[in-house]
Amino acid sequence: MHDNGHNPYKPMPMHVVRAYYESNDRSLKTLELVFDRKADQIEFFEKFNPGQFCQLSIFGKGEAPFGVASAAWEGDFVRFTIQKLGSFTQYAHTLQAGDPIGMRGPLGNGFPLEAWKGKTLVIIGGGCAFSTLYALTKHVHHPQNRPDYDQLIVVYGARTSGLCMYKHDIQSWHQRDDMQIHQAIDVPEEDWSHHVGYVPDVVKEVAPSPKNAVAIVCGPPIMTKFTLPVLVELGFSPESIFTSLEKRMKCGIGKCGRCNIGSKYICKDGPVFSLKELQELPDDI
Amino acid sequence: MMYILEKKKVEQVLSAWNKAFDVYAPQKVENYTQFLPFEKTKTVALNHAHNTRYPPKALFFPQSEIMLKYNSRLGRFEESGSKTKPMLIFGVRPCDAMAFSLMDTVFLSEDYVDPYWKAKREDSIVIGFGCSTPPQTCFCTTVGGAPFSHTGLDAILTDLDKAFSVQVLTNKAENLFKNLPPATEDQINEVKKIQRKATESMAPAFQTSGLKQKLDLIFESPYWETIAESCLGCGICTYLCPTCFCFDIVDEIQRKERIRNWDTCMFRIYSQEASGHNPRPSNKERTRQRLMHKYSYWLDHIGEIGCTGCGRCVCYCPVGLDIRAMLQTASEYESEVARA
Repeated sequence: MHDNGHNPYKPMPMHVVRAYYESNDRSLKTLELVFDRKADQIEFFEKFNPGQFCQLSIFGKGEAPFGVASAAWEGDFVRFTIQKLGSFTQYAHTLQAGDPIGMRGPLGNGFPLEAWKGKTLVIIGGGCAFSTLYALTKHVHHPQNRPDYDQLIVVYGARTSGLCMYKHDIQSWHQRDDMQIHQAIDVPEEDWSHHVGYVPDVVKEVAPSPKNAVAIVCGPPIMTKFTLPVLVELGFSPESIFTSLEKRMKCGIGKCGRCNIGSKYICKDGPVFSLKELQELPDDI
Repeated sequence: MMYILEKKKVEQVLSAWNKAFDVYAPQKVENYTQFLPFEKTKTVALNHAHNTRYPPKALFFPQSEIMLKYNSRLGRFEESGSKTKPMLIFGVRPCDAMAFSLMDTVFLSEDYVDPYWKAKREDSIVIGFGCSTPPQTCFCTTVGGAPFSHTGLDAILTDLDKAFSVQVLTNKAENLFKNLPPATEDQINEVKKIQRKATESMAPAFQTSGLKQKLDLIFESPYWETIAESCLGCGICTYLCPTCFCFDIVDEIQRKERIRNWDTCMFRIYSQEASGHNPRPSNKERTRQRLMHKYSYWLDHIGEIGCTGCGRCVCYCPVGLDIRAMLQTASEYESEVARA
């Protein structure tokens, strides 16, 4: 629980420390935020784990939820990658280093990292939904965390190479001997030496073994929809497939009502669910 | 302990309480009654066999409420709202008091406490007004309530024609009434008779056993389309509902305030996502959400139905949709499918 002085609706004062475009079409921008108050920072990192999200808050524009795209060990900042879509994100894209912003969080359950210890992680992401998977991969990369898991296999697809996020860092993953990285774009491009095709097809091609493995899938609904059957065919059980859901949200703490699927609130009970859990919920996504 | 409060003394008693409390009581407004701040010159409207149109949940959870005030777009803010006196609400129907208790489970849940609800609710006193002659639209006994239910109340009044009997239910209410004359044995028996008669007058409105399981089962069925055909999606059923708690958070730019407003699952924009996708694109999904929330999801959460049978949604639906008939049809739905 994070009640920020007993009022969970009160944003913590933050500042942008770095702001940069993530894609060549400038639709994706990354903001790295630092805390104005040391106490907030300590409380945040005590609670944070990858897969959680925050409500970013801009007075006059409102609030919107974004997945955290950084691991705690990376530094005293919190990273978000924001797609420009509505009035809030339009404004967020104008923010520069030094600008103030509000933040509530961390919210939601995050990935069940304890339960995954000792297992192979098959991380499958598409588009800007890869942000929380990036946080997960970064978390596992830390020398203290890496021995907790078996193999690390990442499949990351984007429509074009220009839309690939965290480029420089992910480029370096190809040189790592403690993981596999399979990058894909939808249509062929010059100088692209990785996969071409849709994520479900790449997963089929890579064919990760389900043995002692969990698969984590985050992407646009259409990608998730076609990737899940591939994993099932490869032998992954519904208990070993996880995904992170999104819905329109306001409060982020299970009060305002709108993000439910059946009796579960995505903000509070999720956003991370196993396929087994989802199969038990009504089709209201 | 049971006391007797003469009707002609009600205004006098409420005036006295006004020193220590912010007293609210139902008062006549046009053709309806509504909970409003009590003043000496006002008359309390407890003489009608009907409930207020606007639910008293608004006293703890206003239709529009300031959460934070801010100075500039990105600038700093101050918290809003400071009340001076605890609230005393006089004349709350047992269905609405039960709704307070249901809403407590949302706003005072262990993981996150809602400070705005808590500030108004925690030291409040709720004096109930039992229903001697429940109107035809009421169905509290079907959903676990009763016309003289004690849930959520500190005391409850029974109408004895020229006076009210007052059953004190909590210690904090005892102090309010202890100077009143106690009820005689005859009066106590009369109260029991009235209460029993009222409860007996209410027949079960629909089948509740197995209803949740049935609703879960028919989630995908065309049943919901038949309801959606007549629903206008106006949302009045949710606005006037004593247990509906959904809210929207918006920034009022000119007033520089972050506020929350009652919201409704009956509106398209409620679940509209930034990508353009809407998980509940038509009245079918939205009506289903409303009924499933009250009669299935609440049961998953706390094991109780999230409806107190107040009947407002029945009274005020512009096209006469009746939740009792909808649920009865739902509970019989499977057999119809089997026949088809």
